[in-house]
Amino acid sequence: MQGYFYFVAKRALLMLAVIFFGVSAMFLVTYLSPIDPVEQVLGRLSARSNLSPEAIASTREALTAMFGTGQPMLTQYFNFWTRLLQGDLGASLMAFPTPAMELVMRGMPWTLGLLLTSTVITFIIGNLMGGLAGYFQNNRFFKAFGIVTMGLQPIPYYIVAFIILIIFGFLWPVLPISGGFGMDVRPGWTMPFILSVLQHSLLPALSLVLVGLGGWFIGMRALVSNIVTEDYVTYAELAGVKRDTIVGAYVMRNALVPQVTALAMVIGGVFSGTIITEQVFNYPGMGSLLVDAVNAGDYSTVLAVCTVSITAVAFAIFIVDLLHPLLDPRVRAE
Amino acid sequence: MFAVFRDLIRYNVEFAIGLVLVGIMVIFASLSFFSPVDPSMIYMAIPDQPPSAQYWFGTNSRGQELFWQLSAAFKNSLIFGITVAVLSRIISITVGLAAGYLGGWVDRVLMFINDIFVAVPIFPILVLFYFVLRNNMDSFTMALILACFGWPFDARLIRSVALGLKHREFTRHAVFAGMSTRKVLLEEHLPYVMPIVFSTFMNNMLWSIGMEVTLAVLGFTNINNPTIGTVLYWANSHSAMVVGVWWWIVIPVILIVMTFLGLFLLAVSMNEYIDPRSRLRRMGA
Amino acid sequence: MDRRSFLIGTTALGALMAAGKGLAFAQDAEGSAPDLTQFPRNETVIVHNPEGIIRNPAWFNLWAVGAGNGTSNGLHNLTTDTLWFIDPDAGVEGASENAVYNSLADDLWQYNEDFSEMTVKLKQGIYWSDDVEFTADDVVFTVQKQAATPGTPYNGAFSNQVEEVTAPDKYTVHFKLKKPNSRFHTLFSVRWTAAWIMPKHVYEGVEDILSYDANPPVSIGPYTLHSFDPNGTWYIWEKREDWQRTAMGMIAEPKPKYVIYRNNISTDNRLIEIRNGNLDMVHDLTPEGTFSVVQQDPQIQGWFPGFPYAHPDPTLVMAIFNHQNPKFQDKRVRWALALMLDARAMSMASYRGAATLSAISVPPTGTHPRDYHAPLQDFMINYEIDTGTSKVKPYDPNVGMQIADMVRGQFGDAVPTDETAVRNAFGYGWWKQNIPAAEELLTAAGFTKNGNQWMQPDGTPFTFSVMVPQEGVVNRLGVIIAQTWAQNGIGAQAEVDADTWGRQRVGNYECNIAWAVETWGGHPDLSFFMDSYHSAYVAEPGASQPDRNWMRWKDPRLDEIIEKIRGIDFNDPKGIEYGHDFVKLHLEEMPNIPIMAYNVFSIQSNKYWTGWPNAENNYANPVTNWSNGRYIFTQITPVAGA
Repeated sequence: MQGYFYFVAKRALLMLAVIFFGVSAMFLVTYLSPIDPVEQVLGRLSARSNLSPEAIASTREALTAMFGTGQPMLTQYFNFWTRLLQGDLGASLMAFPTPAMELVMRGMPWTLGLLLTSTVITFIIGNLMGGLAGYFQNNRFFKAFGIVTMGLQPIPYYIVAFIILIIFGFLWPVLPISGGFGMDVRPGWTMPFILSVLQHSLLPALSLVLVGLGGWFIGMRALVSNIVTEDYVTYAELAGVKRDTIVGAYVMRNALVPQVTALAMVIGGVFSGTIITEQVFNYPGMGSLLVDAVNAGDYSTVLAVCTVSITAVAFAIFIVDLLHPLLDPRVRAE
Repeated sequence: MFAVFRDLIRYNVEFAIGLVLVGIMVIFASLSFFSPVDPSMIYMAIPDQPPSAQYWFGTNSRGQELFWQLSAAFKNSLIFGITVAVLSRIISITVGLAAGYLGGWVDRVLMFINDIFVAVPIFPILVLFYFVLRNNMDSFTMALILACFGWPFDARLIRSVALGLKHREFTRHAVFAGMSTRKVLLEEHLPYVMPIVFSTFMNNMLWSIGMEVTLAVLGFTNINNPTIGTVLYWANSHSAMVVGVWWWIVIPVILIVMTFLGLFLLAVSMNEYIDPRSRLRRMGA
Repeated sequence: MDRRSFLIGTTALGALMAAGKGLAFAQDAEGSAPDLTQFPRNETVIVHNPEGIIRNPAWFNLWAVGAGNGTSNGLHNLTTDTLWFIDPDAGVEGASENAVYNSLADDLWQYNEDFSEMTVKLKQGIYWSDDVEFTADDVVFTVQKQAATPGTPYNGAFSNQVEEVTAPDKYTVHFKLKKPNSRFHTLFSVRWTAAWIMPKHVYEGVEDILSYDANPPVSIGPYTLHSFDPNGTWYIWEKREDWQRTAMGMIAEPKPKYVIYRNNISTDNRLIEIRNGNLDMVHDLTPEGTFSVVQQDPQIQGWFPGFPYAHPDPTLVMAIFNHQNPKFQDKRVRWALALMLDARAMSMASYRGAATLSAISVPPTGTHPRDYHAPLQDFMINYEIDTGTSKVKPYDPNVGMQIADMVRGQFGDAVPTDETAVRNAFGYGWWKQNIPAAEELLTAAGFTKNGNQWMQPDGTPFTFSVMVPQEGVVNRLGVIIAQTWAQNGIGAQAEVDADTWGRQRVGNYECNIAWAVETWGGHPDLSFFMDSYHSAYVAEPGASQPDRNWMRWKDPRLDEIIEKIRGIDFNDPKGIEYGHDFVKLHLEEMPNIPIMAYNVFSIQSNKYWTGWPNAENNYANPVTNWSNGRYIFTQITPVAGA
């Protein structure tokens, strides 16, 4: 038990370090940005309207005072951490004065929902199929499945998403291609709303799943095909242990350990994928928020999205790490 | 190494296919050195011509011959991928071998840093760099940034091999013979990790080119420079697919799939080679 | 396969199939998206709003600046009103005169002799959506509140100009100005937007109006908020029971019961959605997208029935030189750069030939060809420049005809043949590409040619960046311009930037492709952009330049013209004369190179609704984010049986 405690403490320390270094680096990068938020807001305001030059000058003064952009860097950095620990990342510049954190929180359920469901589905299907393909090496179905997923796996997210959009939105328009839910349903835990959300998430999720499957499939197949040549498996087979017990309890379970480690490592990558998916399908979420914020020069929001994604990814890795000892007795003992 | 390749081509059909695919793409990309047109010029040909004997891959809505456009794009993207791969290999080999061989606190510190890099989501960081650098973010800067983030997985792999090598007989001999640490690592250990380096090289190229495509389609790179990503960016900004200029999307996608599949097969089969058991099984032993 | 693995396999497959079935069922139940069962299409118009995701979707207070709310999401189209509207096109016949609508005002503006006071009569019987009557007090409150509150959109304009605003009676407003201004009424005249009137009874009780979200908004238009997407991608508006008690309702009944504004739709998705019947009006498409969708679906229309389809905005796209950059000080250099350009290449590259060219600094749109381009045509044909070595007449009056001939091969009968129609669609003419003349001008300016590269008088290569936006026709135009210059020995390179507006404002560019000229469109007065060209407004390098004189051009002769315009009435015919003076001064100096109107590929579908404005029935601007487009809803009718 003590071993497990040390393990958890070590992992928690790492998580905090990741968050600290990542967030500090981000603050530095955004701080060095030459973009002046005040001019950004002014530009947006006065485009296409007949504001007088005097009006612009007085608005500028008011904005500079509000944004506090004139302060020295260390003060801004210190303020940033103070506010961050209170969960406040300042007002967004593109939706002033809405807190940037509120924008992120609005987008987060969509991104996390998409990310979580697609990762879980991908992980389960990919590993299950990969494991079976590794064990039944001559089965034609698994071979065909392998070729298809392997062919899809290396293609960049964007292309897969775009092809799906063209097929189901244009050539055979059966599924919604934009938005998070339909316009005639009201948000809430009602059946029509949940169904509408599911329906709208089908295409984005599908693109993520298709791209992700191959990695798990190949990894699991390789692991299983190695394990089946291990002495203990041969021994079990000779000893007359049932094959399904061998597959389930001996082979798959052992092969799952490295796969769970890998899960922790791909979460960051899948996050990148959701950003693209959200762009292609006009899906609400943190990814499209980030892209908007970059284009609007809104550094509070850029910082908020990045901070939250670093924290979320670090936390997800931490959780997966905690699962690790449950699967692998060697880690427990260490 | 040569014997390894010979074995691979002979016994591993995936490796052979991968080699052919990548070979075709490399030849195609090198053709751009003999390109009769400047790929950055627009309206040099009749726009929107479907593939024909005159224009093999057709022309796009910007009046460019797609054949030469794509040739230049793949050249630039492959060079980009190789740059990232080489730079990040240098880091991962250095870190991996040093951590594995030296062990102790060096190992712990290096792996701690390594874990931080693994955990930081790269895409927001790249976008952030674009946010700050804007148009100063040319392909070389981007390659540098990607290289700085593309090493940790592979460094860990190399470290695990180096850990095993450390306790092998020949290492001890070398150390007793008075070889410096640097020499031990470069002359004794490096050859053992080369297969991993090769396989991760391919994987890294896949990853970095994929990142470039992703950033470019969002318009977050220098879109005047033809690359795989910017070709798609322009196709999109001209609604190529929905208006029926399908060849502007389909042909690049086919070529991308060929490239990626090729690199991927090379990486996978090399990976398999590293693991002798599956190799023996394949050779029928 | 043994039993257990078989079970694992089948369970997994079964689960997959069940999931698939559930989803298929969901789809049957919901129909195809977007789900509009509640909104029958014969009562609902769906409009594309070009805004991205609205980041502050529950904010409806238009009198706080930069709140991240939606503007053209129906809010400023359907719920707001002010004294006058000036249409960029002709305006609804009978309801407007000379493109000017009296909206909340009952009559045109009345100035005193020296333009230091303005009196406005208001319409009677107009009510806010919460049953409170609209009166002069609302107008007075709007002016006083904004003048006193920094951070409101018209704070500067009102506090600097208005000495006193009073309501002599319930339906009259009287303004006393700090100094004479014959264009004061334009603050209340909608061209895209203007100073919207605030509901006094709502805002007088609000302590800090900058942090008030006004959800739901009190409307003075014929629609009120029905519902909106908490993720900020759509808004649904419902017709008021008492729509007759609004200024728009007094013109005619708005036909749709519901109007839905959808935003954040990528270009490809827009095309797909209008073809699938999920949009009735699209703000803009790519040229290629438009050509293809009008072919695929005969029910979809553009502004022109045939090529070039696009609606010309009263906005002039140009190559803007930074006059604070030493490279562009010499007008001979600016002229040389203009003569190097090829109008046909620019038209083909940007709009696939669907561009409306203009060589003079007035957009070739609305009523301007009548007032400027046609009367000045002879002047242009005889216009002569001295290159230092020779004298050339650079104008080519037939370039529009040549482009029409070029695109006829691809579009056939869709391209007009009548000369007037061609001039209106393709422009009155442009400069002939004349490389020798350009080279003579450069040589005269002290430049030398080294190989294929022009060197500046100080011996350094003449190179500069051409800033272009990320997408759209302006991007394409900029790329071809940079390329044409590069081919002729100028080291010009296109530079794509996501934030061209921000950089343009602070003067952080060398050459920029954008517009520095915008006009009312339907009215010949040029003050809308010209007033801000006064040298008093030119900012120091690095500081923000007020709107529109992005090149920071200064000229005492220009100031003189501007001051003369300020001294005459809006409708004074002398205005056109001064406008001509401006055009000629601009030609002499060539501070920027005017190229073409900003044509917007706005399209509408006649599948469910019909009666949209177009070139023949040009009663309104179809570009959906203009507040002026609201009158369209009074003119359309549902298609029977759809």
